[in-house]
Amino acid sequence: MDAIITSFELLGTTLIIPMAVIGMTWGIFGGATPGLSPSITMALLLPFTYTMDPIPALVLLTSTYVGAEYGGSIPAILIRTPGTSASAATMIDGYEMRKQGRAGEALGISLQASSIGNFVGILCVILLTAPLSQLALAFKPSSYFALGILGLSVIVSVSEGMLFKGIIGALIGLMIATIGTDPVTGVGRFTYGNADLLTGVPIILVMVGLFAVGEVLEQVANRQPTAHISGGATKLKWPSWAVQLKTAKANLIGSVIGIFSGIMPGAGGTVASFMAYTEARRFSKTPEEFGKGSEEGVAAPECANNADAGVGLIPLLSFGIPASNSTAVLLGGFLIHGLIPGPVLFNRDPTILYGMFSGLLVASLALIPIAYMTLSASIWLVNRPKPYLFAFIAALVFSGAYSINNSPFDLGLVLASGILGYGMRYFGMPMLPTILGLVLGYMIESNYRRSLVISGGDYHIFIEDPVSVIFLSLAVLFLAGSLIREFRNRRLRPQDKEVSA
Amino acid sequence: MLVKHTNALARSLFAATLGLACAAALPALAQDKIAYPHKVVTLVTHSSPGGGSDVFLRDMTKYLKQVIDADFVVENVSGGSGAKAMAHMAKQKPDGSVFYATTPTYIYTSHMAELSANYTALEPLANFFYDPEVIYTRADAPFKTLKDVLDKAKAGRSAWGAANPGSLERITLEQMKKITGVNAAVVTSEGGGETMINVLNGTLDIAIGEVQELRSQLEGKQVRVLAVLSEAPLALLPGVPTAKDSGIDLAVRKFRGLAGPKGLPPEITKAWDQAIPKLLADPKYKADYEAANLVPAFIAHDDYVKFVDHFAMEQKTLLTEVGVVKKK
Repeated sequence: MDAIITSFELLGTTLIIPMAVIGMTWGIFGGATPGLSPSITMALLLPFTYTMDPIPALVLLTSTYVGAEYGGSIPAILIRTPGTSASAATMIDGYEMRKQGRAGEALGISLQASSIGNFVGILCVILLTAPLSQLALAFKPSSYFALGILGLSVIVSVSEGMLFKGIIGALIGLMIATIGTDPVTGVGRFTYGNADLLTGVPIILVMVGLFAVGEVLEQVANRQPTAHISGGATKLKWPSWAVQLKTAKANLIGSVIGIFSGIMPGAGGTVASFMAYTEARRFSKTPEEFGKGSEEGVAAPECANNADAGVGLIPLLSFGIPASNSTAVLLGGFLIHGLIPGPVLFNRDPTILYGMFSGLLVASLALIPIAYMTLSASIWLVNRPKPYLFAFIAALVFSGAYSINNSPFDLGLVLASGILGYGMRYFGMPMLPTILGLVLGYMIESNYRRSLVISGGDYHIFIEDPVSVIFLSLAVLFLAGSLIREFRNRRLRPQDKEVSA
Repeated sequence: MLVKHTNALARSLFAATLGLACAAALPALAQDKIAYPHKVVTLVTHSSPGGGSDVFLRDMTKYLKQVIDADFVVENVSGGSGAKAMAHMAKQKPDGSVFYATTPTYIYTSHMAELSANYTALEPLANFFYDPEVIYTRADAPFKTLKDVLDKAKAGRSAWGAANPGSLERITLEQMKKITGVNAAVVTSEGGGETMINVLNGTLDIAIGEVQELRSQLEGKQVRVLAVLSEAPLALLPGVPTAKDSGIDLAVRKFRGLAGPKGLPPEITKAWDQAIPKLLADPKYKADYEAANLVPAFIAHDDYVKFVDHFAMEQKTLLTEVGVVKKK
């Protein structure tokens, strides 16, 4: 009870509300801008928080974090370029809906799903930070390995119809993931003595290159005026009751998956949104609509990545462990003010956490009106003549990439990934398996080898850990199930539709 | 945005007034400052704003400018684990107007990558601090001393954790394994977070880490420190023996010092040799750095050059032994 009273007092006495609104607005724009990841968007604000008090500073950063997760879906739906990596799954059906002239509806579904995900995530953080922190302890290296394998088993379904190309794409991702310092021996692999490659290829740069630069290159190369869609509603349309009912199950699935992936450091919003997408399709009454503009296909991943973002605060707050780039930036925000997130923070400075929680709730409430108000600005941005848009995206992508480390080398990486992305598009290869391979490759490899170092080369370690057994069995079931479906579908319709992602 | 600006403005006004008041009240202090040929001295760090060395430098410059008659600015040249900063430093004039905040990272990066400018292009100036490293275990672990862990490892197997395979911490554990001749798996992970979880859930028997990284778990009584890897016990961890007391001849010197471009003039190095003991004795700064768990360890210029050189050669041998660096 005290907590609630304290929170209300803080609302009146500190700058929580204005900071939540500013952070939210900035977050939506940052998330909506392809090339600016939530972490970059937050990092840009970090210098401003030096002079602020801790509570407004943390509210500003966390609201930006939440806003960026929603903002990412706007360009995913409108220009088929995910603003954040986690919104890549939203893009599949969101962009299809836009092609059918239902952009406003897709944005409305995404907004509603984001809000649901936000509230679910934040409620989890508030209620469960302390008890759930126990679950993270059950995760050993063998469990992380199994979690990664489960994530990879999704590849069959995300490369629907193009299994062979999907596997090649995943291998490209896995190969990129091996660049850098060997996770066990510390030897540089494929670094060619280059100090910039010692820490590996940053995933965010490859994603930005593959998606945004690849997209720009392809569109410039194709120069098809028909690709530009002028029709469609430009007004955000709140989903009707019928649609809300239809997407309720997808939102539920998204929330549950988002919560689970958020608790586990390392899984991340991208994995969560893809898993939510595939699970929503599996339980859908109309799975055939997926990939062709399904409302559920927009709702599930968007709800999952917002829930994941919220719940992702739990490992940070309860252990001081940042599970993602964004929470790492947030950790920086804590440290600037001499606060160390962890078990002690709850006992020593609960006011700061209550302030942050009430700020998050205010931000989630503010999301809906702010989304309405800023949408026209975002759409104006997207509806500019294509050459302007390409130049704008390219400028933002490269300045954003440069701003992380002030490194020209990073610009080269983005450009190289962009060319790779263009090549993959040219050969009709899906992007998503590559990203999954890249995201999960390091996690799988390092934890596999770490487990074997611990066990002294004994493979029993993977079946002695109950968490690992559960995940590995799920992965086998999942793989078998989707392969069976894949071959059955192939026999039913020999001429496959080519859905490039 | 308006709110933030007025806030910042109010603060800077306040700071300016305070500064004026201090300047007026304490004119005598200015005369005690050590004369320095440059008005502004740039301190370069490879960590990004808010990172470890950055926070350290920004904190130190507040007190440094009361000891040396100059202003200090911090410049972040991040990227390539220090490679960028070293390349940047190699191009500067060795006139004492620019220094690089060094930690063992720059030696490690020099050994692990082929760089246009590595640590040999720089001249160590002097050392300020050590970051104390400790061996810790979970609070409810059956081990009470480092010897208990070694006994377990001798009898069967033990798993020890260190962050990052190419790090001083990992090499230290490999050294400990070699000295004691026990059967232990040295398990590395990215950053300290995963290592901490694996210590807490019992996957790892012990791990090595900086006191600063363990602060919240220590306060929460989730972990117990078994041994301190420094020459003498730490005041902030009373009753915890050093590894040497436990019979293992092992100490880590995770240094924090400055380095300049090669060829620093003697009057510059003398000024710093004079300034650092004064800086470390400042009671206000002392309270600050003790809260950040730093151990003062002044090493004057002449000795520091030898110290860093010896450290670099020693680490190169160790890195080659465990296979991180290939023999050439």
